[in-house]
Amino acid sequence: MKRENFPFLGFGVGLRRDHYLHILENQPQIDWFEILSENFMVPGGRPLEVLDAVRARYPVVMHGVSMSLGSTDPLHRDYLRELKELARRCNPAWISDHLCWTGVGGRNLHDLLPLPYTSEVVAHVAARIREAQDFLERPILLENVSSYMAFRDSTMTEWDFLTEIVERADCGILLDVNNIFVSAFNHRFDARTYIDAIPCGRVIQVHLAGHSDYGTHLLDTHDHPVRDEVWDLYAHAVRRFGATSALIEWDDNIPEFAVLMETADKARTIHQRVEAETTRDAIRSELD
Amino acid sequence: MRSGLNWTERLLYRLITAPSGVAEGLAQEKSLAPGGLTDIIAGDDRLSAEERVDIYANMYFYRLLDVMKEDFPATLALLGDASFHNLITGYLIDYPPEHFSIGYAGKHLADFIESHPLREEFPFLADLARMERALIDVFHAPDATSLDADSMREIALEDWPALELKRHPATELLDLQWNVATMLDSIERGDQPPPPRSGAVTMLIWRNRNRVLYRAIDEAEREELQTLAKGCTFAELCELIAASNVEGDAAAAINRRLETWLRDGILERVQA
Repeated sequence: MKRENFPFLGFGVGLRRDHYLHILENQPQIDWFEILSENFMVPGGRPLEVLDAVRARYPVVMHGVSMSLGSTDPLHRDYLRELKELARRCNPAWISDHLCWTGVGGRNLHDLLPLPYTSEVVAHVAARIREAQDFLERPILLENVSSYMAFRDSTMTEWDFLTEIVERADCGILLDVNNIFVSAFNHRFDARTYIDAIPCGRVIQVHLAGHSDYGTHLLDTHDHPVRDEVWDLYAHAVRRFGATSALIEWDDNIPEFAVLMETADKARTIHQRVEAETTRDAIRSELD
Repeated sequence: MRSGLNWTERLLYRLITAPSGVAEGLAQEKSLAPGGLTDIIAGDDRLSAEERVDIYANMYFYRLLDVMKEDFPATLALLGDASFHNLITGYLIDYPPEHFSIGYAGKHLADFIESHPLREEFPFLADLARMERALIDVFHAPDATSLDADSMREIALEDWPALELKRHPATELLDLQWNVATMLDSIERGDQPPPPRSGAVTMLIWRNRNRVLYRAIDEAEREELQTLAKGCTFAELCELIAASNVEGDAAAAINRRLETWLRDGILERVQA
């Protein structure tokens, strides 16, 4: 996997049903869209028609929730076949899924569950990613999930676990900055330490989203604006990873499209500010 | 892990999907020592191990409940929140999701209702759920170019008899014991639904320009559409329509039928 093979797409938003009509009628100035793959893995009808129309005007990436890379069930071949077929149809810049399991014994929890961070699980997940990549004939991006439970048997940190898997599987990373923030609170680790440990060359995309504060824990709800602390963490990530395609996720209490555009613009502004600061610091240190 | 990743995933699956919550699920786990979950999941002063698994259990149920509410709005409106909630609780025990897409989670709801006590109060409930599910299936059914009046006119008249036709894939025939369509219409308008009429009825459900539509059809049209599902020639179709109009004007009946089907996009031309 080579980072230069993945284009920098700029600042995009998730394509959601609430905005289909607005997007098709107004063709807003947004850099790119991310689709939830499963929403378009249907035989026909409106979703695919919308996808074709959006794809004709914008770059698109496919983001899935069902590969279940951490499950002990065999990889779901029908799922991979349909995913590949969808990729053939919309030619995405890349395909991503999560570092998690979503079901076992042929049953689906429709949730992104964490794994024990052990070397056995590293080997298990990395082998499955390689199998999926071979089938799809392209490298995928692996996203860190937010989590609310941790396993006693874990022998490494989440960032080491993620790093070892992507290195072994030779895949990219979709780094969800909000998920790091949420999990850092829930499991009492330092979010910046996490970001500083992630290998720069593998981060292809960043996710930004809102979460809910329940006092005892934070929940990754995607139903609020991005919190200030997450924006600060994003700036830290930009400082480390440089130009990385960023995407705003909003799945519940979805606001008007203009709000999503403003949020994507905010990501762009922070990105530009950090890049300017980095350039200024480089010049200063050269002068010194 | 104590007994490997598979053992852990299966345990968590059982706890998350336990009908009465994680605590009761834990009580059923005979192989786990009391408090054994804390050997697997770390708890702290903010949340115990059990409370942490409970977060996932809640998300599992409420995510699926939300999907069901969206997919079965009329069933929900009829039953009300509390009764619908209980219905889905039972449904998920008998039909836990297996498909990778959450959109199929409600696929068996009508079958589940068939043997549910709610049918005593609402004998038409299974038909209502079946109809709502069919609307979703037709909405996502495969695409195909439907035959319309203009394209029919472009075909030379002498070629019409041998023209191979079939029913468009985004159509469905649904045999019901109750005419629940009137209920759907009322609920969609926000009105109090009238009780549906009892008696066998077949609904034709189809998609036209991304809108899903439906109407009740008679036995003759049902038979014609079933023949079309298998595929037939235009001549064979005309014979079938004429056979059910022996006492009337067969040509007029064929014209009427064709006009309606071409307008609604019910037909597809089979290309050689």
